[in-house]
Amino acid sequence: MTMDTKQHLVSPDGKWYWDGVAQTWAPVVVPSHGSHAPVRDQGNRPHSPPSAKTATKGLSSFVGNVRSEDLVFGQTVLVWGRWILIGTGLVLSFWTPRDLLTLQVQLAAIVALAFGNFYLHVQLLRGQAAVDKVVYAASLADICVVTALVLVQGGYGSPVFIFYFAAVVGISVAFPTVLTAGYTLLVIGIYGVVCLATAASGDYPAVFTRLLMIGAIAVCGNLFARNESHRRAEAIRIHQELLDETEQGSPTPQNA
Amino acid sequence: MANVREIRTAAQADQEDVFFGQTVILWARWSVIVAGIVLVLWTSTTISHLTQTVPFFLALMAMNFFLHGRYVMGSPLNRAVVAVASLIDLVLITAIVVLWPGSHGLNNQFFVLYFPVVFAFALVFTRRIEATYTVMAMVAYAGACFLAGTVPLDLGNEDKVLVMRLIVIAAMGFLGNYYFRIQRDRLSRASGVVSPAAGLARTPIQATLHGTGS
Repeated sequence: MTMDTKQHLVSPDGKWYWDGVAQTWAPVVVPSHGSHAPVRDQGNRPHSPPSAKTATKGLSSFVGNVRSEDLVFGQTVLVWGRWILIGTGLVLSFWTPRDLLTLQVQLAAIVALAFGNFYLHVQLLRGQAAVDKVVYAASLADICVVTALVLVQGGYGSPVFIFYFAAVVGISVAFPTVLTAGYTLLVIGIYGVVCLATAASGDYPAVFTRLLMIGAIAVCGNLFARNESHRRAEAIRIHQELLDETEQGSPTPQNA
Repeated sequence: MANVREIRTAAQADQEDVFFGQTVILWARWSVIVAGIVLVLWTSTTISHLTQTVPFFLALMAMNFFLHGRYVMGSPLNRAVVAVASLIDLVLITAIVVLWPGSHGLNNQFFVLYFPVVFAFALVFTRRIEATYTVMAMVAYAGACFLAGTVPLDLGNEDKVLVMRLIVIAAMGFLGNYYFRIQRDRLSRASGVVSPAAGLARTPIQATLHGTGS
């Protein structure tokens, strides 16, 4: 079987293809260069543009999991979530600032974040997916900035911890499950340590609630992303079967 | 390529969104229930306090058992019931913010319970319903803070904190629903159904990824 010309006959898991002559499913022979996974989730586009192909390089996961192309789509959520963080942070920084040092740290962190987010947003507007590692690093920067602001404002008592939620929302829908779990555990670990070091024992229930809710947000977002990936896989499978039926029922081939 | 029929109608797609999204709401509610019960058991200082607060969470737990059971059996409830259950979540969380012993309104630290509930709701319902729900959550929280007398309207630090929390609640709704619409657009394209209302596909990145970009 030639994978390039018969990708639409491949099953969603990439392991089987429909042999129209023998009228049966046959196993796909995996080429040695490892490009056996056909490009899924492309609906009615026969050829992927270069940028889309680039976007699938970073992660090798497939339909059913959150993968690199999902990262591109989730990246818009990440970028907008970060703009919300930046905009809110700027406005609130000038609203009854506590002291000069705090304001300096806040503005420096927010401006740095804004530059990074501007780069990522420009990449999106130009139709180019950013390098996966840059996206991961940017999310790490989000966590670092929020943590820095929390620390500057006294740890547990700082109200800006809620921006962890906005950061985790973007991470949960854009990143694969393993990375989502890693980032979320990082947030929970760092913020948990900060709170344990700065909160009174009477505040521990509130700390527990905050950490649990951060975890809940991550679970909900990633669960939804995975569900949607499965739904797309199923929709593609049904669609391809219909296309195959149409092609087999047609007296003359429509597509050369 | 002629005669390719649509795999699902818009109504079916809506029902599927509720079906598949319902599990997110269910898990969000479980997180609220777990948090609530742990908090009640942890912070209760008297028997009366415990007996007065636990029933709220037990009722919520019973409701979620029912909803989750229906979902597992493959017969989830319709969107009206799901929406009503989500409204009950809002009422309960607002009651916690207003009535929790020791700390009321803005000083109550359990406002974070709003976040997963609003986020999960935004992942399931269309923009207009989601926006309504998010605004209701914001109004409920702001009302609870004012009702408890913890926010003087002097543009001071309390107002700043309240605005910050309201913005994050709104962000939960916006980001969740934004992602929901992206996924819905992707699903319709994966099904071979290009919706004319798929406005999200107009952005260059999505046009490129769908093979229509320049």
